[in-house]
Amino acid sequence: MQDKNELQNQIIRFCGVTKRFGEVYALRDVNFGIRKNDFAFITGPSGAGKSTLIKLLYMGERMSDGYAIVDGINLARIPRKQIPELRRRIGVIFQDFKLIETLTVFQNVALVMEAAGFRSRSFIRQRVEDLLELVGLAHHSDAYPPTLSGGEKQRAAVARAMVGKPKIILADEPTASLDPAASERVLQLLRAAHARGATVVITTHDRELLSMFDARVIYLDQGRRVDSRGGPEETESCEAEPPAEESS
Amino acid sequence: MISVLRRALSDYVRHRLLHGACVFTIALAVFIVCAFTLFFINAGDLMEQWQRGVRITAYMEDGAGRGTAADARKAMEKYEGVGSVSYVPGDEGLAWLKEEIGPDSSLLSDLEENPLPDALEISPARDTEGIEGIEKLAQKIKEIPGVADVEYARKWLDQFYGIYSLFRITAFVMAALVFIAIMFIVANTMRLILYSRREEIEITSIIGADEAFIKYPLYLESALLGLCGGLAGLGLVYLAYRGVMPGISTEGLMPFFRIRFIPPELTAVIIIASMFVGWLGCFFTIRRFLRV
Repeated sequence: MQDKNELQNQIIRFCGVTKRFGEVYALRDVNFGIRKNDFAFITGPSGAGKSTLIKLLYMGERMSDGYAIVDGINLARIPRKQIPELRRRIGVIFQDFKLIETLTVFQNVALVMEAAGFRSRSFIRQRVEDLLELVGLAHHSDAYPPTLSGGEKQRAAVARAMVGKPKIILADEPTASLDPAASERVLQLLRAAHARGATVVITTHDRELLSMFDARVIYLDQGRRVDSRGGPEETESCEAEPPAEESS
Repeated sequence: MISVLRRALSDYVRHRLLHGACVFTIALAVFIVCAFTLFFINAGDLMEQWQRGVRITAYMEDGAGRGTAADARKAMEKYEGVGSVSYVPGDEGLAWLKEEIGPDSSLLSDLEENPLPDALEISPARDTEGIEGIEKLAQKIKEIPGVADVEYARKWLDQFYGIYSLFRITAFVMAALVFIAIMFIVANTMRLILYSRREEIEITSIIGADEAFIKYPLYLESALLGLCGGLAGLGLVYLAYRGVMPGISTEGLMPFFRIRFIPPELTAVIIIASMFVGWLGCFFTIRRFLRV
């Protein structure tokens, strides 16, 4: 049995997680743990279940079986009303950016803070401007996403993911549609987020990218975890399902 | 509340093309409803005018005299369902008859005495509806002392009330059908609007917005769309009414009948209903988007 400290140190824990879409299994009995402030990769070929796993983490989908603990919250039993609270602890970056095209870059980023209930316009402005400065988009603050390049869009998405100071940043194939220079810039920003204390989880099928980092890696294939490196012993961290909110 | 209003208004402006198309659809739907309403209101008014033309004539007994007629009139006026009563002496009745007959009135000049008795002419109250109401009233009047006979155009009334009830049923069924059709059109338009903004709603949800943050501006927006569509539709009907009215004359057919516009209280109901249906379309669609 793993000691309690190890369990408490894990910000993400998957235990026997299965996700079915009808008869098709996207994930099957997946176990793993990611420690606080880890820089982790989830990798595997197309159709391995990487994006589904990310969706389960931010509650874009509900799991069919098993349970997952994210920052002390049991996702298998999370009430609908608590989902926004969970999502505010997570920043998500997508391959296709998912910026709202009718909002400017500034408004896209500020929306996170407005959604989190911040009311002070000056506070929001200051925080968003700082983030846009960090990602090198201060001069594009009033631009609309369709006018930006892919790399700029992804940096705007990174700023949006970071602005709420989340504990976890999930990035689903963040560099897949970018050129090498733009990819490097995005990875630098994710490293910066990691350096600020966030746990970063990136899905990728790019082996070159994995070789650049000495990070935690979880390998998926056909919905199963087939290997992992640099983390806790997965199968031992699972026990009887805890209540909706785990004390941490 | 202010932030909800601010977001709703800024969204409204941001999606102006989409919203413009939606307002146009709602306006057309409201235009159809209003055109029907306008027609049925005025056709109803016309029917009511005709109903007001119904008379019951109570003939007094021979030699009953003015005193008896006055007593009978007092008694009638107390009855529920009686609008007004007027006394028509036999001489006046004969004079009217001669006038009606015209050139052939010489046929009546050979009469040694007036065959027409004194009469009381009763106009039923506005709320006396249907042939049964008129029949009951006539029966009661017949029982008043001094009244010899009661006459009313039963056959004509039968036909009139047949048409009147057919009209009312048709109006009701048509109104219900049009309303349901319009509800579907408006609700589906709102659904299309929301479907086109589905990704935006999903993104807002993923970044941590709670349901209230997402829903309330959309509710407000859809009610606002309903309001604008409702006002535009009503405006179009009013313009059409003002444009067509001068060309319609009721002078010959119904001298006292005037075509009128939809009354203000019904106008308010139409606008509130437009807002409600807009909101309803949004309410049912948004629930589907926010489901996990």
